[in-house]
Amino acid sequence: MASVEEVKRRYEVRLMSTPGVVGVGIGRKDGKDCIRVYVEKEDPKVLASLPHALDDVPVEIVVSGAFKAL
Amino acid sequence: MRPEEAKVVCECQYLGVAVEGLTPATNANVVGVGIGHKAVRGQATEDIALKFYVKQKLHPLLVKDGQRIPEEIEGVPTDVEEAGEFSIWRPIPPIYHRKVRPAMGGLSIGHYAISAGTFGCLVRSGQDQYILSNNHVLANEGRGVEGDPILQPGRFDGGKTDKDVLARLDTFVALDPEAPNVVDCAIAQPYNSADVTPDILNLGRLRGSRDADLEEKVTKSGRTTRVTNGTVADVSATLRVGYSTGSLIFQDQMVIRGQRGSFSAGGDSGSVIVSYDGRAVGLLFAGSPFFTVANKIANVEKALDVKVV
Repeated sequence: MASVEEVKRRYEVRLMSTPGVVGVGIGRKDGKDCIRVYVEKEDPKVLASLPHALDDVPVEIVVSGAFKAL
Repeated sequence: MRPEEAKVVCECQYLGVAVEGLTPATNANVVGVGIGHKAVRGQATEDIALKFYVKQKLHPLLVKDGQRIPEEIEGVPTDVEEAGEFSIWRPIPPIYHRKVRPAMGGLSIGHYAISAGTFGCLVRSGQDQYILSNNHVLANEGRGVEGDPILQPGRFDGGKTDKDVLARLDTFVALDPEAPNVVDCAIAQPYNSADVTPDILNLGRLRGSRDADLEEKVTKSGRTTRVTNGTVADVSATLRVGYSTGSLIFQDQMVIRGQRGSFSAGGDSGSVIVSYDGRAVGLLFAGSPFFTVANKIANVEKALDVKVV
């Protein structure tokens, strides 16, 4: 099975170009590594457009808000 | 008598305000009178009272004879509250916003044209020591040029180019609007090496650098939110980050979740993320309402060819 890093790399560009998505990373969910997708706001349309898993790696969607230089 | 009328009497008899038909007097401990709710054991009640603001609230037995505020004046109950001394002076700003020499990590710093950011830590390149912070703090998002004055405190905190110049801009890593970025960092060279120290305010001295682990607890000391603690929530994030010039993509970033509320705010940029064993692990540069983003310190050291002191 492909590593989480590989899966992330494979789908990163596509995920980042999804409207409403502000980031893609790797987090831990229930003790397992997962693909983390950061979205700007809790928009049902954006949430519906994102997958629950990518190549058997679970996807966790996190509402982060927009990132800005501080 | 109405409270408003009784208050006029008090103004005359305790603060020395001239009122026709009364002899003005002052009480050294009374700094103000007003009208408010009477407080009993620290809790405001429904009752309206004449408020006496005093420098120091004393136990009734310690009040000198004749200085005691009566229970009521002209039929209106009184209430004594300690207010200290009113003054036109603004409160002293926190040390994070002040000029400090030798300067150290955590303090306000900035390129002369920006508002203010945070002095990260000292780094070494060969024999020389430099101040590490962000490009957007020390190099004004790449608009600065080598030799530009770096102020401590930053301009927003009152730093002036004639007396608060600590260092000169040395090197920065350019921010690329077209391709992914990995770091937002720059170094400045202090004019006088005795004006800086490798300490980080309230965190002490660093013990080198290393990578952070996922879910590891970290801390930082920064200009705006000072010392805060958080947890590393992501160590390989790709993010879109807003700058004054537009949004930029950053790869290989660490994301931190604050332990209690926010881990950072505007002005904390440039803070070093420190592990609980005292190692530098990241360089704070961005945030969202819920997260803080930092460059990995190894990427910063590599890009600038420096080592954390």
